[in-house]
Amino acid sequence: MSGQFEMVGIRPLPPAEPARPAPWYRGKPVLSAGILALLVLGCLVFRLAPVRDPAYMDLTRCSAAPCGEFLFGTDAMGRDVFSMIWYGGGLSLFIGAAATALSTLIAVVFGALSGCAPAWLDGVLMRLTEILLSVPSLLVVVLLQAALGEANVLSISLVIGLTSWTSMAKIVRTEVRQLRGSEYVLASRCMGGSFFHILRRHLAPNFFSSIMFMAVMNIRSAIVAESTLSFMGIGLPLEVITWGSMLSLSEQALLTGAWWIILIPGGFLVTTLLCVTNLAGALRGSGGRGQSNL
Amino acid sequence: MAKGNTFLYYGKKLLLFFVSVFVLSAVVFFVSRLAPGDPLRAYYGDRVEKMSPQERAWAEERLGLDEPIAVQYARWLGGALRGDFGISYKYKLDVWEVIRSRVGNTLLLGGTGFVLIFTLAPLLGVLCAWQEDRALDRLVCKAGTVSSCIPEFWLSLVLILVFAAGLRWLPSSGAYSIGGGGAADRAVHLILPLAVVVIGHLWYYAYMVRNRILEEVRADYVLLARSKGLPRRRVLFRHCLRNAAPSYLSLMAVSVPHVLGGTYIVETVFSYPGLGTLSYESARYKDYNLLMLLCMLSGILVIVCSILAQVINEQIDPRLRTREAAEPPEVTER
Repeated sequence: MSGQFEMVGIRPLPPAEPARPAPWYRGKPVLSAGILALLVLGCLVFRLAPVRDPAYMDLTRCSAAPCGEFLFGTDAMGRDVFSMIWYGGGLSLFIGAAATALSTLIAVVFGALSGCAPAWLDGVLMRLTEILLSVPSLLVVVLLQAALGEANVLSISLVIGLTSWTSMAKIVRTEVRQLRGSEYVLASRCMGGSFFHILRRHLAPNFFSSIMFMAVMNIRSAIVAESTLSFMGIGLPLEVITWGSMLSLSEQALLTGAWWIILIPGGFLVTTLLCVTNLAGALRGSGGRGQSNL
Repeated sequence: MAKGNTFLYYGKKLLLFFVSVFVLSAVVFFVSRLAPGDPLRAYYGDRVEKMSPQERAWAEERLGLDEPIAVQYARWLGGALRGDFGISYKYKLDVWEVIRSRVGNTLLLGGTGFVLIFTLAPLLGVLCAWQEDRALDRLVCKAGTVSSCIPEFWLSLVLILVFAAGLRWLPSSGAYSIGGGGAADRAVHLILPLAVVVIGHLWYYAYMVRNRILEEVRADYVLLARSKGLPRRRVLFRHCLRNAAPSYLSLMAVSVPHVLGGTYIVETVFSYPGLGTLSYESARYKDYNLLMLLCMLSGILVIVCSILAQVINEQIDPRLRTREAAEPPEVTER
């Protein structure tokens, strides 16, 4: 065939170069992941091999500026800020993770329950979450904290987890309502699958990706909540070192002009939050918007 | 919409409102009383420690704290329905009086912040959408992400450190100087807290506007309008913005409590005499009546705003009225 006809009028094109494969790191938050990994690693290493006791108060060297011996200076109680950062960072990150795990669990169960429930129960449950949302969360935390007594790492994770599940539960509910009519869920029900079996095997894998972003963002808000509470003096006490409780000394630091007590823990805090946000953004996926018509 | 229908529609909303407020009051009442702590301390201060058991019993009876919680709640509810919310234990004044002396400060801070946020957010959002994926947009997006990652209390601290402690340009706390109180004095005290409120919220809403418009410019009618030869500017402002406006309105409605609530932390850091510091105090010192009224007020604000957002959505877009998705846009916890 090819010999019989000749194509005319086509501009000869140079052979297309083979498309270079996009570098593997394109669109991935490599920098954020790296920094976050470094922070976590640093905290772990410090836990295993502490350079200096973070709780030791050197009362002769209160509020010393950063120098060779104290890389980040000392705080108003003579504690070494450098070791406090690494020691406290571990706790801050742990609280973020623990609170998120708890709130995600509650959100998934509550949302799925509401999504599977008959309409009237669903309505009641959703109104309930709206009422919970309408109390200022700061007040809820203060009240719960008072009810649980002296704050420690676990109780504050519990309080933060208990107050931050509502918006995620709403998303789970919406997803479950769309999924619950599908054939595989019906089939599983007919075969006598229990609620938790269906949730684990059929529903969760389907809505997992849509709550992933919120779960990671919850880590961020949990860390913020812990530090804000500890800063205001209603979270962890001064002896429990986290980035937030380190900052609760900053009112005195403002008077003495000890900038390192404010800027260094805060800097670490903001860097961590930024990395977590970038990771969450990458999970949500930004591509696929397509060409603008404008 | 038929007349009977309208009646039913608003009746339902009203019913929902009352039920929500009732449940809210019960929840706050019981949780606050279950929490341990001594409300007498708020009333009598440190004298509590020297009180004999008889004196304590007498004081508790006087404040009505010796009865079962359910009875206390019934009594509170009865008073509240007649507009009597009791006295503040700490200030020994009618709770309305206490709140009245503070509410102006919070409304000034929150209201100015709200207006600033919701005029700047669409400007910034439209600017970014106009420059989509160009240098300016990327720069603003990066800066915005960073700003949204800074906890409000730390931003306040840094601003105080720089502008109050370092440069000594602005006062670090309070709402007015002692003895002063002119408009200029108040404005100077407002600058730092206001900056924190605006910076803390601005990008969240600007980003929403940006993304909403970016969705909008991918619609087919934009292609049609452009191919008919309308200039970009006209399509963006006349067509896309109009379509994005309703969701922005309802977003504004849901965000009222969000922005006002955001002032709480800022007030505490700046020792700004507003409702935030007041509710923090009342929760810590078990000033029950004050705490109840503050919770009820903020709760009512949230409920009203979310119903308002629903109504805006449904009135502007009738399709939503029956659809499952008739929910206001989510303001997520941050």
